[in-house]
Amino acid sequence: MIALRRESLLGLLPILALLAAWQGTVAGGLVPPALLPPPAAVFGRLGQNLVDPAFLGHAGVTLYRLFAGFLIALAIGVPLGLAGARIRALGAVVRPLVRVLAPVPKIALYPALILSLGFDDASKIVLVVADALFPILLATFAGAASVEPKLVWSARAAGTSAAATLWKVVLPATLPAILTGSRIALVIACIVVFLAEMITSTDGLGYLLVRATRTFQIVDMFVPLLAISGIGLLLNGALALARRHLLRGFPEEG
Amino acid sequence: MSATLTPPASAAPSGSTAPMIAIADLSKTFRRRDGGTHLALDRIALDVHEGEFVSILGPSGCGKSTLLYMVGGFVEPSSGTIAVGGRPVTGPGPDRGPVFQEFALFPWKTVLGNVAYGLREAGLGRSAAEAQARQLIERVGLKGYESFYPKELSGGMKQRVAIARTLAYGPAILLMDEPFGALDAHTRVRLQNELLGLWERDRKTVLFVTHAVDEAVFLSDRVVVMSRQPGRIKAIVPVDLPRPRRREELLLDPRYQRLVIDLEAMIEDPPEDLPA
Repeated sequence: MIALRRESLLGLLPILALLAAWQGTVAGGLVPPALLPPPAAVFGRLGQNLVDPAFLGHAGVTLYRLFAGFLIALAIGVPLGLAGARIRALGAVVRPLVRVLAPVPKIALYPALILSLGFDDASKIVLVVADALFPILLATFAGAASVEPKLVWSARAAGTSAAATLWKVVLPATLPAILTGSRIALVIACIVVFLAEMITSTDGLGYLLVRATRTFQIVDMFVPLLAISGIGLLLNGALALARRHLLRGFPEEG
Repeated sequence: MSATLTPPASAAPSGSTAPMIAIADLSKTFRRRDGGTHLALDRIALDVHEGEFVSILGPSGCGKSTLLYMVGGFVEPSSGTIAVGGRPVTGPGPDRGPVFQEFALFPWKTVLGNVAYGLREAGLGRSAAEAQARQLIERVGLKGYESFYPKELSGGMKQRVAIARTLAYGPAILLMDEPFGALDAHTRVRLQNELLGLWERDRKTVLFVTHAVDEAVFLSDRVVVMSRQPGRIKAIVPVDLPRPRRREELLLDPRYQRLVIDLEAMIEDPPEDLPA
């Protein structure tokens, strides 16, 4: 526990170094303060915004899109990955589809999504789903394909039907892989929801950034960036906590 | 070789009726990665009777585990038949309980959850299943460890949990796949004694795969010796040693020593050359 705390303290150092470099750049006059405000100004504004209902409303909209997209991706990716890995015929269909679709830059679909789904939440949520799906699907697929057969056999011998082993054995045995995929998917979801809001939106953190840029509100330009970074940090922490609880019986990963 | 040998047929040792496990003309061919085929088991015939403890002894790669997996219904035979209790095997079932060298415990379940699993699957309510599981956990000497996760236990304790998990759903046949192969020598002897104690109480039918000659002789009524490439039954050796057996007495018994020496001579590879 002490070692863990020391490690997380150590992890703070590079972040502090980053902030120091930022401060140094501004203080050293390398970039005029009109283009890059000092960190204190940005954090100060962020602090003010955190009690501003309008700002919180925008953050809430972003969070809603992020979570909706992530959860839908989870709801599609996990069952599809499990079934694809364990049912040969389905795997034969899913695998080539994944190979073709995974490398496609989903953001390129966004104009088409706007045209068909409109400017509001739907197009942005679908984009998050499209990007968050693949890390979850691929991790689940790989995890489920490598489940120790003797775990499944043990359950089969105990009377579990072949179909039921999918959620009674394969799903829990794949949990470590699913959580790893989810962690990547959450980071991607943060990026994508922000990008989508930057491209076309009337609300959300990405929209705030674009609005600030257009009106040369330089400090306000950096605030949404800090906010989304903070959201990512919190979500990652929450997922790590969930992981520690859910995987408490699993051997530690190397 | 020795006068204790019988030809590789499946003559019943006792006067009982239909065999509990009837294996006839069983072969298994695996497809190799290069496209060729590999004959793992070649025309195996073996009858095991109710309450009998039969070991399958052979070098690594002789297909002895594959044979066990086919009796379990986990692996499909290429040809031949297996009948359990007079009915052909079509898949796994709670009449045949496996115990694996790797334990194969569910890491997401506690000791109690693992042992209660089969009882829950059999339709028992949570409290009834857990009460029964607690009794079994006590019987395998793990009282007090109910809420532990498998990763918190030693190898010997894990295998005790695995045995309890299998005994829980009351299989008539135990299929044990080198169950003590991953344990240190001391723990292995202890678990052999405990298994023998459990068996002498319940008299379940046991098919026990091992490459340890002393283990096979100590535990079994008959030892099936296999050769490899392809896996065939080389001999079936009856172990006419009195029961209940005590290890300390057995080690001094010339009949035991004779059997161990004969069987070691029969296995192609000396056991110490085998990979763990």
